[in-house]
Amino acid sequence: MLQILIYGAVSSAIYAMLAVGFTLIFGVARILNLAHGSFYALGAYAAYVLTSLLGVPLFIAAPLAVLIVAGFGVVMERFLVRPLRSSQLAVLMITLAVSLAVEQALFITFGSEYRNVPSFVADKLSIGGVDISGQRLLALVAGVLVLLGLWLFIQRTRLGAAILAVSQDPEAAQYMGIPTNRIFSIVMAISAGTAALAGVLVSPFLTVQPTMGLLPMVKAFAIVIVGGLGSIPGSIIASLILGYSETIVAYLISTSWTELVSLVAVVVTLMIRPSGLLGRRAAF
Amino acid sequence: MKRIAPIDIAGGILVVAFLALLPMFAASNYLTGVLTVCVIYGIWASSWDFMSGLTGRENFGHSLFIGAGAYTAGFLSSIWSTNPWVSLPLGVVIAIAFSLLVGFPTLRLRGPYFALAMLSASAILQRLCLIFWEYTGGEEGIYGLDPLMKNPLHYYWFVLAILAVTVIALTLLAQSHWGLLLRAIRGDEATCQAAGINVTFYKIVSLMISAGFAGLGGALYAHYQLQVSPPLFSVVVSITVIIMVYVGGIGSIYGAAVAAILLTLLTEMLRGFGEYRLWIYTLTLMLILFFLPNGLIAPLWRRLTERLR
Repeated sequence: MLQILIYGAVSSAIYAMLAVGFTLIFGVARILNLAHGSFYALGAYAAYVLTSLLGVPLFIAAPLAVLIVAGFGVVMERFLVRPLRSSQLAVLMITLAVSLAVEQALFITFGSEYRNVPSFVADKLSIGGVDISGQRLLALVAGVLVLLGLWLFIQRTRLGAAILAVSQDPEAAQYMGIPTNRIFSIVMAISAGTAALAGVLVSPFLTVQPTMGLLPMVKAFAIVIVGGLGSIPGSIIASLILGYSETIVAYLISTSWTELVSLVAVVVTLMIRPSGLLGRRAAF
Repeated sequence: MKRIAPIDIAGGILVVAFLALLPMFAASNYLTGVLTVCVIYGIWASSWDFMSGLTGRENFGHSLFIGAGAYTAGFLSSIWSTNPWVSLPLGVVIAIAFSLLVGFPTLRLRGPYFALAMLSASAILQRLCLIFWEYTGGEEGIYGLDPLMKNPLHYYWFVLAILAVTVIALTLLAQSHWGLLLRAIRGDEATCQAAGINVTFYKIVSLMISAGFAGLGGALYAHYQLQVSPPLFSVVVSITVIIMVYVGGIGSIYGAAVAAILLTLLTEMLRGFGEYRLWIYTLTLMLILFFLPNGLIAPLWRRLTERLR
């Protein structure tokens, strides 16, 4: 029981980190970023290159990896997505192309074999008789802190207010003197950064390989649809729901069936409440 | 209802005749095999174009229908050893069933739900194929399908005939009142709804048609390769099909088929580049998005034949 509670919390935290970035860039810039999974994969690979190949100490490598991927996200938004922003379809296509290009680049440079990243924390902790690796606990704590920080940033700072304003009405925000394009870049950096951080944090206990981004991205889609496209609190709640239901299914039935959870969740949500738990509009 | 111009009919006959005779000049099983794959890609690309090109609802998981058709053929022919001709209609039926499963909840909605759901569904199905390997053969897939025809050349002609029928049927549908409605939905869905058109019904039925042809193509592919494996469901297959449609000129159907054939041939020639092949594909897509938003084949053909219309 306690095991479900803890492991469910860890996977929820990781899903939440992925989903929040995905929903944020959609809510603010209306960019449906199909390359979101590649940020996650790039984060894990950056951690691998920095630690295992270059020997950079872990606690420098992690933030460095996040920064590199955030920079990549900004460059992608500026040069590939922005010129095509007028057409939703073109944005979908270009981000999908980027995700394939990244996957192939990783495949060509590193090959398809699994890579190992050393643990940040070697110790095992025992909570109420349940053994849990320090790394998983770190992922949980970092996830909660990042989400809390993001919430405070958006609710309490001037820049956060500007982001909210752009998400409500980009044109009106522009008239009020908010530099929308710069806001898009900032949001893209945040979105890519959180996804990369998720990748860095899971890299020691999950397999690092070129296609690792696809499935988490599919989960992020599912979460965002269940929570409501563009809603951050919605995606956090949905992450908890999905993270826990997957863990429960894995314990009660078998791990094979966990993949179906997100698919069922999406279908049920779209049938009963298409706008998601906290979505603003049914359709847009 | 718009009539199809005689020059288009002539062009179509010429292309089909050329393709049919091509293996006669350079008789080799290799070439026949490559051409068969080209033509099957043509079926997939034109079926994608019918739904997504006309209604503007992007299907990012066409491989779901392709894989469904192919795996149906695999199960039927290899495991239950039925007559291989049964797989074609059943592949179509199963693909249509999948299209209802995904289309029904998502096509009622506007917004990107359909695109996301299709992408997720195909990715999850590929995953399920690997997880339930006891039934699906896992990584290796299903082997030992029976061929539909003994002679590969006859099979190629058969597949080519099916492509011709597919393109003709879909073009006629696209030119009809139906196609007009679908294009109207792409233009302005809300207005269509206000005009009393049952938008959801048209979108779902066009997805069913698209899925049916894709499933047929999948079954044909399975009976050509004589095996099916999980990569058939992969995002790479979907994106390859989408790139073909883009190169062909979205919404033109015949352009998609021609582009599919040319690009598959090109891919075959690029085989030497090995793992860089997909890179070249992705770069092609990016260049086309930026410089040729209307595609290449269909606009080119229209310009060449402008005088003759």
